[in-house]
This record gives sequence, structure tokens and C-alpha cells, in this order.
Amino acid sequence: MLSEVRSNIASCLKCGACRLDWKTSEPICPSGMQFGFDSHYAIGRVSLARAALADSAVLTGDAMRTVLSCTSCGACDIQCNPAVGVEPLRVIEALKQEGFRAGALPPELRDFLKSVSVYGNPYRLPQEERGQWADGMSIEKYAGHDYLYYVGDVGSYDERGIKLARNVAKLLRMAGVSFGILAEEERSDGNEVEKVGEQELFEYLAQQNIEQFRAFGVKRIVTLCPHAFNAMKVTYRRFGAEFEVLHYTQLLTQLLREEKLVPKKAMPVPLTYHDPCFLGRHNGEFDSPREVLDAIPGVKRIEMERSGENGMCCGGGGGNFFTGLVGLGPRSPGRNRIREAQGSGARILAVACPNCNNMLEDASRSEDLSDQITVRDVAGLLLEAMALDVEVV
Amino acid sequence: MEHEWPDSQAFGRNVAEPLKDSVMIRDEVPRLDGSAFAKLQDIVGVGNASRRPEDLLTYMSDSYSLLMRREVPLPECVVMPEETGQIQALMRLANSCGIPVYPRSFGVNIAASAIPYRGGIVLDLKRMTRIWEIDEDTMTATVEPGVSWGKLRKEANRVGLDTMPILGPYQGGPVGNFLLTNVTAYSSKRMADRAVTLEVVMPNGELLRTGSWAGERGDLNRYFRYAYGPDLTGLFRGSLGNFGVVSKMVTMLRPKMQHEDVVIYGFDDFDQAMGALKHLERLDITRYAFFFSASTWKHVFLSPKAILDPVERGRIEAQLPAFLMSVGLGGMARQFELNRELTDGVLTSEGGRRLALDADLMSIAHEVSEGGSQKVLRMFTPYTGFMPLIACVPPRHAAGVRRLGADLAKKYELLDPVDGGPLDPEVIVIPYDRCSTVYVEQEFLFNRQDQRSVERAGNCIREAYSRATSEFGAVHTIPNRSLLKRINPVYAEILGALKHVVDRAGILQGGAYSLE
Repeated sequence: MLSEVRSNIASCLKCGACRLDWKTSEPICPSGMQFGFDSHYAIGRVSLARAALADSAVLTGDAMRTVLSCTSCGACDIQCNPAVGVEPLRVIEALKQEGFRAGALPPELRDFLKSVSVYGNPYRLPQEERGQWADGMSIEKYAGHDYLYYVGDVGSYDERGIKLARNVAKLLRMAGVSFGILAEEERSDGNEVEKVGEQELFEYLAQQNIEQFRAFGVKRIVTLCPHAFNAMKVTYRRFGAEFEVLHYTQLLTQLLREEKLVPKKAMPVPLTYHDPCFLGRHNGEFDSPREVLDAIPGVKRIEMERSGENGMCCGGGGGNFFTGLVGLGPRSPGRNRIREAQGSGARILAVACPNCNNMLEDASRSEDLSDQITVRDVAGLLLEAMALDVEVV
Repeated sequence: MEHEWPDSQAFGRNVAEPLKDSVMIRDEVPRLDGSAFAKLQDIVGVGNASRRPEDLLTYMSDSYSLLMRREVPLPECVVMPEETGQIQALMRLANSCGIPVYPRSFGVNIAASAIPYRGGIVLDLKRMTRIWEIDEDTMTATVEPGVSWGKLRKEANRVGLDTMPILGPYQGGPVGNFLLTNVTAYSSKRMADRAVTLEVVMPNGELLRTGSWAGERGDLNRYFRYAYGPDLTGLFRGSLGNFGVVSKMVTMLRPKMQHEDVVIYGFDDFDQAMGALKHLERLDITRYAFFFSASTWKHVFLSPKAILDPVERGRIEAQLPAFLMSVGLGGMARQFELNRELTDGVLTSEGGRRLALDADLMSIAHEVSEGGSQKVLRMFTPYTGFMPLIACVPPRHAAGVRRLGADLAKKYELLDPVDGGPLDPEVIVIPYDRCSTVYVEQEFLFNRQDQRSVERAGNCIREAYSRATSEFGAVHTIPNRSLLKRINPVYAEILGALKHVVDRAGILQGGAYSLE
């Protein structure tokens, strides 16, 4: 409800500090970079929220296109909150919910939500195919294993996401981890549904998942995707979930420390790492993926200027991976990010999220940089260093 | 927009002055028809022009206008040019239609200066982000309006140069079409104005270059301000967008020194700190020196959340004397050491003492002192209700202005919105040109959610401006036409005539500060 964030709205100084990373002075808001008008930065969305709260603006589908091009990356919070004390993202999320309640849905969003509610996934693919990503791997159905390996929509259905899901599974198996999957019984985690403002569908998905995990006796979950990690670790707690949730890079770090995985093959290539927003900025996990990469012999890891809590979003969050409202073109966040990665001198851009992987790989092709920098998932790189078969995307 | 602000234009207003005429709001302004908008789109590209209400809404207000509940019409459109030629074409079009234009550079506005009071076109220049040149020989940079301080600093550092520290955050830009950013530059000891020369698009679309840039081969020498008679760069200084759109500025940089550091000194009272500042600045050995009151630093040191914690506040208060002076030193090794020694000698002889704060506080003090830190915004948090009394006065009147601020805070029974106790206004003192003039800023904080708090602060600030002017000759840098007209009609007439010459159609508007 907008009224619940009234104090945040009233405290906005309209100073525009939300638009740039104040440490590097580089643009940091994905949709703002793309569209340019202040309306597409947090400053504009808070203005819209203020007007909506005062009943001087109506949330139309057009207005919501502007709001929904926000990728929920949270970069505005990092700029504003320590200085001004406002949490712009909370306001934006409330605005998204308000827009949904008002029925102000752009067609792209309507399609996305309809797909999830009718088919159970944004790809409109049959539920029975959900477990096919694991074909030929003989992965057991979860039955009291140490970990439930949750791969999510992209890992289950997307051609490239499937390869990433398989890479992680190979490493877990190699390390002797006891894990199982839900296969055709797995359901959407709902993180993106929540981030576009559809609370009822999200609650339904969350409660279904929680009940199912409890019924299976799940205690610990390892996720492929930072979005599912965020939902299960943070948001599901609203509904009483108490599972231990790890992102796969966190589990890999443990396995490397315990020497259950010992990479030996050298990879003397300059490499940089892209922080996924829902792993890094939202959940504070910056170190594990870097620790995994640093364990690869000979790796020369470079930091991009915008990294860690000031990392630049790929443009795939807040439902935009599916709705595409943030748009394409040379100013798109993904293309901006791949240019930055290439400019850092790295030859490999390592990612820890299947959404980021696709966004940045597509951006690399659009920028015609594929021969200069390769987008690779952290698990795939580690597999290669273990001299194991990698599912190259 | 929770509260009615009792006086919508408090800046510089005499208490008895009527409200209406400080801002020109015309009921009837020409509208931008569909074909004119299509032409605008042709000029800047379809994606860089919008008249969608959801895009326009945010340009209607800033911190002050919201506080004052200024109702402004929705602008006709917003456009984002990417080069000077596009601005020229836009201005020609606007001029031919008589449609008001409101330029804004980077859009870090909290003083109602870029609000489209008459509707019209918002000219958003933040996509003009090129640094055209950093010239090591003349120690200048030629920048566009969308360049931020941080970006300029990064580029300058690559060639051994640096920007002057600024009080505002990196998100601000050096150009600033209202050319006010250097008012609070605490590096201003040698250069109260960093603008050297300008490229300006005039309201009729013609291009003006000022200073030596105006010459036949001005492109070879745009680094000298005082050429060809009266200083036209100065015409735009503080003009608040009334005379033209600054599309490029040549701005001063400084050499980055071999050794640079910041030292912090504490003083127990204002007179002591003021005397020490004057003494020190006349030696001309610092990169900068300024002092803040403990109440200012307390806000700067603590996040908006932490300042509400009495334990955290107590930790800070226990370490802070009444005033803290920040001194930037620099030079080669011997020079640096000598300057440090001299500074120490002067400041301790004037009653100051070198402070050793907790490491986290010292780190913030360094960051803020060297400029461009977002933490300066904490001065107004967490309730973000503030009215500043800004007074540029001779050093001998600084203490009087300070006393005035403190007395009025008592008279109006202002309460500190953080702890509920009597308000001790935050104080910032910055010397100009070896402390020949000092910039004294005092913040009257209030809680925006509390109507009584807002009203008291409003009454206080009006009396403060009136008395600072009448008792100390205080000036500030934001023009107010009606005030000027009353106190100095000749000055107002000249400005009005200049405005008429450069902008016959009256299309350029300085937000709340129109000179028309």
C-alpha cells in the first residue's frame, strides 16, 4: 500500500542522488540509463507515488510501463538511503502493487502473469517437461537428501538456463553432495511475480512451495538462481518458511574449502565477475562467487568499476527478463554492462545467475563483442577447471 | 505536500512584502501544438522528447516547491538534447512559438530554481555528458552540462589535475545552468567563480561564446575570461537560466599535489573559530579551510537512521567541540610539512586544538572535506525539512549573523526535530578570497510532518533574512526581482533591460527566479 510508505515519499529530497553511483560517478539506474527522463529513475517514480497518494495522478497502463521498467535492482537504495534515509525501492514496489490493484497492466505484464498462473511458468510449457533439464543425468527425485536442488523456471525451461542447471548438478555430484530435485513437481518460485506487484499470485506460489517442501521434509535448499534464492531465503519467511537456503556459489565455496572440489586445470585468462542484484545487493553475498573463481588456478580476476553493492544490473530483474519493458538498444542495461566488462580488460565475464547469463550474452552479440569477451557461468568455469565436461552455453 | 507553507517565496523577502509578485505566473501561455511537438521530436529524436504526463510529473516539483505547495502547471513537454546544435534548433522553435523554456543541467535541484512555473518546455540536459577537453597547460576542463563532478574529477586525476572540492554530492554538475554551484565551494579562496568562459545558446538560437573564446580563433584560446571588454561570463553567473542555455563551460581545475591531507581542529566558540580562520586564510597556505558547527557535523557523521539513536548521538557529541575546522593542505614534501606546521601554529595560537576523532568519523570528515560526498545530504535528514539562512558578509559581521540565527531559533522556539530539544541551527562558514568575505549558512531544521514546526521555521526564516540584510548588509546569491526592484531600482532596471535585449520573447525562465 502506498500509504504504508508515506514517510519515505514525504522524505524524498528530490535531489536526484538516486541516479548515479556516488562513488564512481557512473550511471547506476538501469531504466534511467535506457530512457533518460527523470520519470524512469527513482526520483520520478517517487514523484508519481506522491501524486497517486494525493489522488492527483491516476495509475494508467502507460504510467505503469514506466514504473515496471524498474528492474528492482535496488541501486537507488544504496545511493539514497545512507544519505537521505529514503528507501526508494520500497516506494516503487508499493507503486507496482498499487498499479496492479488498479488493473493498470501493460500487455507484456498481463502475458507474463497469465503464463505463470495458467501454465505455472512464464514459458507456457507443460509442467511435465519441467524435469527434462536433468535427462540423462540420473539425478534422484528429492527424498530426504541433504539438499533440495531448486533450479527454477529459467533453469528448467530455457535452453541456456538448462545447461547452467546441469553444470551445477555435475559439480554437486562430483563433490558427493546428497541432493535431489523435484523435477515435474517443482513450481515457480514467484520472485518475479512478487517484484511486478502481483501479491496474491505470489502468496499462492509461495505457500504452495512451502507446503510442498514441508511435505517432502526439505530442510536445506540450494538454488541455481539468485531470484529464487531471494524469494525462498527472504520473502517466504513472511509465510513462516524456515528452510536453510543457499545459492549454489555458497555451497561451492564450502565444497572448495573442504577440498571436496579441487580445480587443477589452469585458466590464465583475465576475468571479471558480474554481481547479480538478488545475490549481491539484496542479500549481501559478494564474496562466495569470487572465492569460487579465485580457486581456479591461474585466474586473473579484475573488478569492474561498478561492482559489489554498486554493481550495475543486467536489466533482467523486476520481471523484465520476461516482460522486456526496460527495452533493448545501445542504451539498454545489458549492453551498457557488457561494454563495461569488455572495457575492464577481461576476456571472460563470469555470472552466477541464469537470467544475467542470457541478458549479457544477448547484449554481447548485439554489441558484436562475442569474439572479445565470453559470458560464462561460475559453475561452468569451475567445471572446466576440474577438467570435467562443461555444458557450454 | 503535507503542509501549507505560509510564504511561498521566503528567500530574501522582507516580512512586509506582499506575496504575489515575486514569481511571474502567467495564466495564458502559448501551447505547444502537435506539429510543433513533432518538430521537437525531429530535432532531438523521438525517444528524447516526451509529453506523456507520467514523464512530465516529476519535473513539476522539487524539495522546496513541495514544501511550499507551489502549484505549477504540467509542462508541455520534456526534451533531452544531446548536442549544442539541437539546443539551438530547440530555442529557435520555442522562440518562434513564444513557449517558455526551462533549462536544467544535471537536475540536482532543491531550491525551486528549475521548476516550470509557466508550463512550456523542460530542457533536460543530462544527456550532454561529454568532457571535450582537459587542458593541462591551462588547467581547465571544457565540459557539457550533464557532466558530474565525480566524472570530471576522475578524468582530471588521470592527468595529474583535480577539481576544486565541492560541498555538494558528486551527482551535481560543474556547469549547472543557474551557475550557482560555486557559491558553496569551499575552495573558493582564490576563485570565487570557477567559470572561465562559456558557450551559450541564446534564446533566439544564436551561439555566444564568452571571454577569449569569443575571438576569431577562440577555439585555440578559450581559457581567459577577461577579454573583449565587460565580462560576459559574469552576465550568466547567477543568472538562473534567464539569459541563455549554457551548453559548454570552461571550468578551472587545480594541480593535484604530491602530498595532500586534511586536518581537523576543534574550537569552543564561534569568535575563536572565525578569528583563526581569518588568520589562517591570510597566510594563503591552505588548499581550503572552513568550519562547521558541531550540530552540522553530528548530522553528517550519522546516517538518517543512526541519528535517531540517542546512544550513537551521545558517542558523537562527546567527541565534538562547538566548532570543527577542516583544513586541506597540500604541496611537495617540504612545503607540505612547513604548511602543516604553520597551520598548527596559527590555529593553536587562536585557541584551536587538533582533533583525534574515532576512525569512522575521521574518514567521513576527510571524505566530506575533500568534496563530492553524498553525506552532505545528511545535514537535512532524517526529516528533510530545512530552511537555510544564507548570508555573505564581511568577516566582522559573521558572528553577528550567527548570533542572529541562534537568537531567532530561540525566539521562535524552534525545536530540534531529532531530539526535541531547543534547536541549535547548523552553521557552515566558508571564506572567500583569503577571507575577505565569508559565506555563512545556517540551517533551520524542522519536521515536515509537523505543521507547527513548519510554520515556526517559516516565520523565523523570514525575519532572519530581513534582519540579516538590514543589520549586516548580508547578501545572498539568489536574485529576487521584487526585492531588488525595491532596494535598488537602477540595478533591477539594468537587469530587466539586459533580459529584454537577449530574450525579447521572454521565453527563458529561471524557475521561481524569473528576471522578466
